[in-house]
Amino acid sequence: MERGIAMAKKSYRAIVVGAGAGGGVVAKQLAKKGISVLLLERGDWPIYDEHINDELISQRTWVLGTAFGPDGEKHPRVMVRKDGSRDIVKPTDGWDYNHIASCVGSGTVSYGAMAWRFMKEDFKMRSTYGDVQGSTLDDWPLSYDELEPYYEMAEWEIGVAGDDAQNPFAPPRKKPHPMPPFEYNKEANVLNNAAKRLGLHPFPIPMLRNSVPYNGRPACIRNRTCCGFACPVDGKNGTQNTSIPEAIKTGNCEIKTNCKVTEIIINDSGRAEGVRYFDDKDKGSEAFADIVVIAASAIESARLLLNSKSKLFPNGAGNNYDWVGRNLQGHAYTGAFGLFDYDILDYIGPGASLALCDYNHHNKGIIGGGLLANEFNRLPYLYTGVRPPGLKRWGKEHKDFQRFTYLRNSQVVGPIQEMPVFESRVQLDQEIKDYWGMPVPALSGERHPLDHEHCKFLSARAEEILIEAGAIETWQSVGGRGGPSGGQHQMGTVRMGNDKTTSVVNKYGQLHEIDNLFVADGSVFVTGGGFNPVLTIMAIGYWVGDHIVDLWSGTGLKS
Amino acid sequence: MKSSRRNFLKNTGLAIGGSLILPACYYEPAPFRFFSQEEAECLIAICECIIPADDAPGATDAGVIYYIDKQIMGHFKKYQQIYREGIDALQKDCKINMGFNFESLTSDQQVKFLEMMEENNEKLKNWVSIRPATFFNMVINHTMQGFYGAPRHGGNKNYMSYRMLGIGYPQIVGQNRYGKGDSNG
Repeated sequence: MERGIAMAKKSYRAIVVGAGAGGGVVAKQLAKKGISVLLLERGDWPIYDEHINDELISQRTWVLGTAFGPDGEKHPRVMVRKDGSRDIVKPTDGWDYNHIASCVGSGTVSYGAMAWRFMKEDFKMRSTYGDVQGSTLDDWPLSYDELEPYYEMAEWEIGVAGDDAQNPFAPPRKKPHPMPPFEYNKEANVLNNAAKRLGLHPFPIPMLRNSVPYNGRPACIRNRTCCGFACPVDGKNGTQNTSIPEAIKTGNCEIKTNCKVTEIIINDSGRAEGVRYFDDKDKGSEAFADIVVIAASAIESARLLLNSKSKLFPNGAGNNYDWVGRNLQGHAYTGAFGLFDYDILDYIGPGASLALCDYNHHNKGIIGGGLLANEFNRLPYLYTGVRPPGLKRWGKEHKDFQRFTYLRNSQVVGPIQEMPVFESRVQLDQEIKDYWGMPVPALSGERHPLDHEHCKFLSARAEEILIEAGAIETWQSVGGRGGPSGGQHQMGTVRMGNDKTTSVVNKYGQLHEIDNLFVADGSVFVTGGGFNPVLTIMAIGYWVGDHIVDLWSGTGLKS
Repeated sequence: MKSSRRNFLKNTGLAIGGSLILPACYYEPAPFRFFSQEEAECLIAICECIIPADDAPGATDAGVIYYIDKQIMGHFKKYQQIYREGIDALQKDCKINMGFNFESLTSDQQVKFLEMMEENNEKLKNWVSIRPATFFNMVINHTMQGFYGAPRHGGNKNYMSYRMLGIGYPQIVGQNRYGKGDSNG
């Protein structure tokens, strides 16, 4: 009987939950092959003019709110402290929330847009470095070579400017980037010369921004408020202005915004039938389809699986071996600051324009490593968080520091590859529910102690570059302590693997035991690389999407 | 659009020029949304210690008090009680230890007293639900936001701090939004 109702209500072939870097791509891959898609997004379409370049309401500084959500009181989370105490945190409460944008395009609307391919070693961490005590470090079931064509799709369809020929550590590629790289700003020119004198290999950062007009949209205007903000001329590329509009244009994709999915409906024979959600008027609703794809970001995707309990999966979808929500990772940022006796910053956006990958792998005594780059422009309030050790944080001394170093500082910084930890995790909170009555995510765990050691290594290398560049004073900012990690680079909670007892999805993002349920976002990452993850999330979107199309063509997914 | 924009820039210059000849303790009398006049005078003095005026404007000139007073009725509602209790405790301890209200002290004395707060000095006895350092830390953060953040939130009047830092104000983004020649270059 229940089944009959489901069949009668079914009006889509696939439902995709989350219109970010992964979901926005999957929706397009399915729609263009004639598979009808319902794309559900809990946020709204982003509107530039609502928040323009306001530093205090942005995705980088959110003391008065987030520009692209989530915001307000509806989306609390619980942070479980080391001593077991629990704090309820709101999106604007600081980093504890592990906030990620909720809007069409998600973080791709307001990101800094670095477009990194992971290196070959990043997919083979355990084979390369061996077992790490206290870590679930492992190989991906997927190799770089398998993902390479999908990186290429992401670069050409969404749009990347870069030149790997200048990076000797870049993994092999078949086609160059579609757009030429950006020119260095003044700071990057200084650092470029210094890094070369040290025998390093700096190059322009590949960026999901238009260095020339591309895809019918204009070139980047080098706006200073880029990272943390939307682009006023639409020269920054995300799924909101590429794959999602393309999906809609096929006529096979309907997007519903302000829809909050609370549960995947799993029937008694263990297949996904659809989702329960609250629509834009907060009315409870259901949608049914042959295929369900979850791409809600590492914390929310895990939460949704955990909240989808059924006869065969009493602890949540795909969670019979207790791996859903585990291995929550992000990137500890680490580096060094330098002060110069001249204006080294010309304030040409987005700031970050030079990187080097000399320290991503094969560092003595280090497992993995990370890229180093100059930093995105800090607006004046964000800069009040920067000062050398011992400098007063208020009064005349601090005012003078702001005034005389605001354009005379440089930071060389990068994301360290974190060691995944089984106990760093997302669980459903037993008490606190969100506005819609769904249990909120409870985040707990600590970073692996090696992360801080690795950060020390990378910060020291960053400081060497600044000293060589002529900084008159330098200091290190060393990250990698505390936790759990996550943040805007959250990954790892729905691990991909070959063994159903130590992972949740197979190499195609398909749940081991629910063949018509897929995950396609940073959740499936086994390890996070020493790189910003977004291009890899997009590549995973293409990879999972194409696999679903293949299965569909063979009618393996029709019910 | 064009002419109002020009007027805005012109007024900016006037406001900055004007502020330079006023004493550091100057503020425009205006009704506050949350703070009483007495509370506001105390808080203005604290903020001015955090970002004092010199040849560039300080917290008072930039209207930091208006930022805090505006936000505390909205996004910062949760800090209302903390401000009320904090200012009260601060004034009580100030009278006991320094003999006067905070705003009546010399600026050297004010700084000295704030340093006592920063270290949760044991001579400060009137703090019940919040520690002096925690309160002061909050005021530092809010002062920085009001001074360096966007003017539309109540502080950083006419982008004073941007001008001090040597960056263009207001920022022109997206040439397609404004007429030709209407830039700050």
